[in-house]
Amino acid sequence: MSPVLAARNVTKVFTTGKDQSLLAVDNLSFEIGDGEFLCLLGASGCGKSTILNMFAGFIQPTSGEVLLRDKPIVDIEPRCGMIFQSYALFPWKTVRGNVEFGLLMKGLSRAERRERAAAFIEMVNLRGFEEHYPAELSGGMQQRVTIARLLAADPEVLLMDEPFAALDAMTRQVMQEELLRIQERSGKTVVFITHSIDEALILSSRILVMSARPGRIKAVITNDLSTPRHIAVQVSPEYGKLKSTVWDLIESEVRRHSMEPAPN
Amino acid sequence: MGESELHPEVSVVADIVSNERLQSRDGLSAQRMPPLEAASQPGRRADRKRRSLLLISTLSVLLVLALWYFSTERGWVSPVFLPKPGRVLGEGAASLASGQLLIDIWMSTQRVLLGFMLAGAVAIPLGIVMAVWAPAKAAVDPFVSLLRPLPSITWIPLTMLWLGIGEAQKIAIVFMGSWIYILLYTIESTKRVDPLLIRAARNLGARDLHVMLHVILPGALPGIIAGLKVTLAISWSCVLTAEMIAAQNGLGAVIWQGKDWGNLALVLVGMLCISIVVLLADKAAGVLERLMLPWERHTRN
Repeated sequence: MSPVLAARNVTKVFTTGKDQSLLAVDNLSFEIGDGEFLCLLGASGCGKSTILNMFAGFIQPTSGEVLLRDKPIVDIEPRCGMIFQSYALFPWKTVRGNVEFGLLMKGLSRAERRERAAAFIEMVNLRGFEEHYPAELSGGMQQRVTIARLLAADPEVLLMDEPFAALDAMTRQVMQEELLRIQERSGKTVVFITHSIDEALILSSRILVMSARPGRIKAVITNDLSTPRHIAVQVSPEYGKLKSTVWDLIESEVRRHSMEPAPN
Repeated sequence: MGESELHPEVSVVADIVSNERLQSRDGLSAQRMPPLEAASQPGRRADRKRRSLLLISTLSVLLVLALWYFSTERGWVSPVFLPKPGRVLGEGAASLASGQLLIDIWMSTQRVLLGFMLAGAVAIPLGIVMAVWAPAKAAVDPFVSLLRPLPSITWIPLTMLWLGIGEAQKIAIVFMGSWIYILLYTIESTKRVDPLLIRAARNLGARDLHVMLHVILPGALPGIIAGLKVTLAISWSCVLTAEMIAAQNGLGAVIWQGKDWGNLALVLVGMLCISIVVLLADKAAGVLERLMLPWERHTRN
């Protein structure tokens, strides 16, 4: 089976000043299969966001290549839809206007846009808020709008950059469950960035543990916790065992990283 | 960064505008709190505070009016230097009744509106192009730097030579005094559109034209409108200058005629009318602004 997304020997160097550069990602290679829920797990500064931005086509690798269905990604790629941590909703559009945006770009008729948008607004439990502006909604609701907006645009892959990091702990749990439900129903491939081991364990089918600065893959863990998954999985003994495995892998990274002075 | 490029006057206003935004963004989380009995208490207190401040404003105005009244009535100040309030009222009523004052107000308003709209029609599209396309900015920037320090009054000799002393000349003065401010505000607010939103739009399949129509224009609109409001007051001061130098009618001409005839009351009537008209224009612009930016209502309070 050919992968949906692939990174082949990807290296990314950022120039941070005159004669100064930062190696963010170092010779990274991995593949993501159809319908997979892959979590990139690592401490801050491990190049997780850099990888995601390359998959979305926002930035290009310094060397190596990122591929979508075996074709290099060289420009902003709407088939890899991005969910931003800060939502990035259009403040001047209502919930409906935001959700319809991708459909409008595809040239769908007004009636079709309405109908499809309504279905996705329903899917993220926001019926009755169609005419509200984003500023009227709570953080959790705004993030649900971005999910509906992206699903309506129907990309092949959902790229999620710590989408729930700005939410309070309880809202985050609710959102995680909703995301699981949505992913099971839509069957979309998801690449999800997090620095929370719990979040990675609850959501993923596979976890890439990343080392910090430069970003390399430290370990690949298949998450075989039962599906369909529920938040209650956290109290099972398998969960505890998996969590301590992951933590052992990460702990040394975090310690090493917190000792070093920041490069800038 | 670009704020220092603005005229000092305008940059202060820009600061105030952006501060207002920041505050409102902070206020957002407070707004989301459930408005239970706890919230209504400070609300009522703020209401009472606002009312007492309004009372102070009213008293202060009344005090100054009373001071004016008594100082002229008792002869502390000679009517040569300051006419009695009654005289000013009488003069105002007379020129209203003759219809001349309304004609003057209308003439000035017309010149402002034409010059101002012309300035907007040129400066807004130009500013957007300059903000998104560096070569355009490079081409126009030198002229902006050269023209910006010139007060509109310095254009009077040239515009008179080119256009005579008719309507076109007055409109040209308003235009020359206004367009650069609108341009600077437009460039600034277009540049401030969140790049993340542009990224998000492209990621959702938007091409250049769509990004322009759905992201850059609406994103820049609040800043452009704020700039238009500031510029409107500047346009008014331009038209008055032009009318004082050479005009048969208009509020500026009223003031100058009052001076020439030694009719100080008429001068004050003219000044008062300017204040009221500009104030009303600003209020009207505020209403228009709220209608055009329905989403801003939620980010403001």
